[in-house]
Amino acid sequence: MKKSFYYRIFADILVVIFLIQGWWFVALPVLLIGAWSFPFYFELILAGIFYDSLFGMAGAQGIYGYVGTIVTSVFFIVIFFAKRIVRR
Amino acid sequence: MGQKIAAFFVIFFLILFVGLQFFVPHLLSGIFSSIATPFWQAEFAIGSGSLRSPGSLVAENEDLRRRLSDMEMRMGSILSVEKENEELKALFGITKTTPNIIGVISERQIFVNSSSSTSTPSLTGTNSEERRASGKILAPVLVRPPFAPYDEFVVSGGEDMGFAPGDRVYASEQVLIGTISEVLSRTSKVLLYSSPKQTHQVLVGSGNILATAVGRGGGQYSAELPRSAQVKEGDSVIVPSLWDKPFGIVNAVISDPAQPFVTVLFSPPVNIFQSRWVLISK
Repeated sequence: MKKSFYYRIFADILVVIFLIQGWWFVALPVLLIGAWSFPFYFELILAGIFYDSLFGMAGAQGIYGYVGTIVTSVFFIVIFFAKRIVRR
Repeated sequence: MGQKIAAFFVIFFLILFVGLQFFVPHLLSGIFSSIATPFWQAEFAIGSGSLRSPGSLVAENEDLRRRLSDMEMRMGSILSVEKENEELKALFGITKTTPNIIGVISERQIFVNSSSSTSTPSLTGTNSEERRASGKILAPVLVRPPFAPYDEFVVSGGEDMGFAPGDRVYASEQVLIGTISEVLSRTSKVLLYSSPKQTHQVLVGSGNILATAVGRGGGQYSAELPRSAQVKEGDSVIVPSLWDKPFGIVNAVISDPAQPFVTVLFSPPVNIFQSRWVLISK
């Protein structure tokens, strides 16, 4: 196993803990760093879905109940292409 | 090639998410909440002190029980004082919304025998000038029927308060209920007008028909009136020349066709046996 794999697992655990606590503002930097550091960091989108599932997705919230998923998806796509451009 | 697979995977994943949310809206929320709930419960338990030692929990429990007991006792005391306050205000015809209650009470020169064994507090003072100036003295009822026989009250205050036989006694709402019959050093006996065989002149009904009320005991009176008197239940009974407040309210009118009179039964407008205080007028 590569060393980066363990870092990735560690980052994922941290993100889950932060999201359960509702500390999105702490989880988001970790996710962004992970998305930049690790290849194909789909945990970024998963984290958004996880956060929305816990605290959002209520009918009364409408689109605001999916902000986590939308934002992380956007970040995922942006970072994905940014990495391709930068590392070309 | 790998990136294409990854992109396909992400797109597929997002489509799956949207589809799940559309067809089974609570599936993901339920799954993830069930994962997070134990952590939230653990956090709550830790925050609530579940990880503290049993000794400290027992000590805290004891402390809380003691404080609860103290609070309950204090609440009982407050309720008692509140009730007493209401009774005193009712005695003086003061409504709950009357402002400056202390001032009103002070003007009326309420006085309570502070030396009595009931440890009733004095409201405005104990000097004899106040007492003489007012002519009305507030006295707590120490004993009342059924514990006191012969339909009488025993009130706090006697010779030390300047009571004298014949002083009139009023219940709440200033309803005349009796007179002082015997004065002791610190207590007095109040003979209720409703005591058996006690007779009084009263005016019954809207026609103010003069009648003789006979005490029946237990706060009840009876009087005989001519059949022609139009008296009905709820009519007021007053005492001529003594007091213009209702002396009683007609409870029943018993009519026997063979008799030329009807018997009227009436009782005071207040339940005198619930009175904890009486006013004594000199």
